[in-house]
Amino acid sequence: MIEARNLTKTYGQKTAVNDITFTVRPGIVTGFLGPNGAGKSTTMRMIVGLDRPTAGRVTVNGRYYAAHTSPLSEVGALLDAKAVHTGRNAENHLLALAATARIPKRRVHEVIELTGLESVARKRVGGFSLGMGQRLGIAAALLGDPQTLILDEPINGLDPEGVRWVRSLVRGLAAEGRTVLLSSHLMSEMAVTADHLIVLGKGRVIADSPVADIIGGASLVSVRVRSPQASVLASTLASPDVTITHAEHDMLTVTGLDPRTIGDLAARGGIALHELTPISASLEEAYLQLTNDDVEYRTGASARNLEVSR
Amino acid sequence: MTTDSLNGALEVPELRMPRGATASPVRFAGILRSETIKLRSLRSTVWSYAILIAMSFALTAVLAATLASTMEGSLPAEAQTGIVMQVSSFPVALGQLVAAVLGVLFIAGEYGTGMIRSTFTAVPRRLPVLWAKALVLFVATFVVGLISTVGAYLIGSPFLSGSGIAAPLSHPDVLRAVIGGALYLALIAVFALGVGTVVRNSAGGISVVLGIILILPTVLQFIPAEWATNTVPYLISEAGLGALGLQSDNPALEPWQQLLVVLGWVGASLTAGAILMKRRDA
Repeated sequence: MIEARNLTKTYGQKTAVNDITFTVRPGIVTGFLGPNGAGKSTTMRMIVGLDRPTAGRVTVNGRYYAAHTSPLSEVGALLDAKAVHTGRNAENHLLALAATARIPKRRVHEVIELTGLESVARKRVGGFSLGMGQRLGIAAALLGDPQTLILDEPINGLDPEGVRWVRSLVRGLAAEGRTVLLSSHLMSEMAVTADHLIVLGKGRVIADSPVADIIGGASLVSVRVRSPQASVLASTLASPDVTITHAEHDMLTVTGLDPRTIGDLAARGGIALHELTPISASLEEAYLQLTNDDVEYRTGASARNLEVSR
Repeated sequence: MTTDSLNGALEVPELRMPRGATASPVRFAGILRSETIKLRSLRSTVWSYAILIAMSFALTAVLAATLASTMEGSLPAEAQTGIVMQVSSFPVALGQLVAAVLGVLFIAGEYGTGMIRSTFTAVPRRLPVLWAKALVLFVATFVVGLISTVGAYLIGSPFLSGSGIAAPLSHPDVLRAVIGGALYLALIAVFALGVGTVVRNSAGGISVVLGIILILPTVLQFIPAEWATNTVPYLISEAGLGALGLQSDNPALEPWQQLLVVLGWVGASLTAGAILMKRRDA
């Protein structure tokens, strides 16, 4: 259980995390979603005490991280795949971390095997690919068999197999009753990995709910209709609660009516329909809508796209 | 098991600790072990120490041979002891540069690579890491320093005795040069560790330490003001080399005072490092 209360972090004039409050519960995978610069990494660093909050507090299982007598078995953190000395080999890196909590050597070899690093364990980390670095970071996070896992962008740089491996790993860890907080800027990945989402934008929590609710609740479901008499159909369906977009000459996008009603109304008017497709919002669309006003670095092109999709 | 999980099998690997092998509370002994592993698992450290020893031996042999060939007639015992001291503590001149670089790199290397975040995640109270690093560095450098100085004595003696110059290793002044030389190297390394903790950058830290050890004494001597001249004996390298009995014409401070000056520099740099390490974001 991770509890953040009114957590704030400012760097000079810039506010990275702005008065956020959230709880990460055990037994499920919680996704930390947000565009770059939203404050995800800063928040995660504050959880494990690397950055000192400007205001507010964050605790792990009721205590500040630094107050735990055996921090590695409390929280396993992958904060930055580069948090390793490049001149040291992977095995020695893990042995050095393990020594602080007298974690036995065989556990080090266990996590090396678990993360598939056997063949490179004696190689210097400086030569590692991004993916191998991620695996080493995950190995370090698992060393102390922790009850809570914090993984910042764990699939960054992994190949598709690695992505699936991380997905089944975090799902398995949560199923064992552990607390798992996982950050990503990839909405598609979150849709299949996380149970619960905390969406950050510009340092604020802009959504904190189950994944299903965010997909279902964020965007109106619309219906795509094709008809040779599109204009006639549009006037038949028109009412104050209904929005109709006439995109192509034979196609309408209708919001505010379900497909059944549209079909019935068309039949009553004797209008032929060639297509009637309900369109549900993807998590990606929901996410874009949520963070629409909170994207910090927006290019001109994507800004225009967002305007159009609105 | 690994191949299965890599292939995306949903079977969850066994993640638990082996039976009876849970993580223990963080204690200083564990942090010491961790820092020992870190020190000896970097090629740069091992090579630096090896080079320190090898260069000491080689250069001492050259120095002793040169001295022996220029000495004529029999010298008084005191002068003989002085020469033996000079030869035995010769590794210090070069060794202090290596010790300074190693001390800075031991901590700045962690900041530079991001390793410090892993370190502080394992030891969130932070300060024990600095104390453990200081202790490990002190002991390792002292041992390497002692090998260098004793080695220098053993290598230099045959050359010198050929010219009738000899002093036993057990002579208090020779012991002071041999043990004091190793102690000085170890203290320079810890001083550099403190500076590295403050600066958090390898190149910057090395520049600062070498500036204080090598350049500052020369600069101060060239400033034609009384305060500058008076400050020189209180510099870490001047006081340190003086305490070894190598600068006998330095009347400003007693050897024990010189040792205190060196300890003062070390204490100041470690204190500054500790305060900033605790305070700053990693």
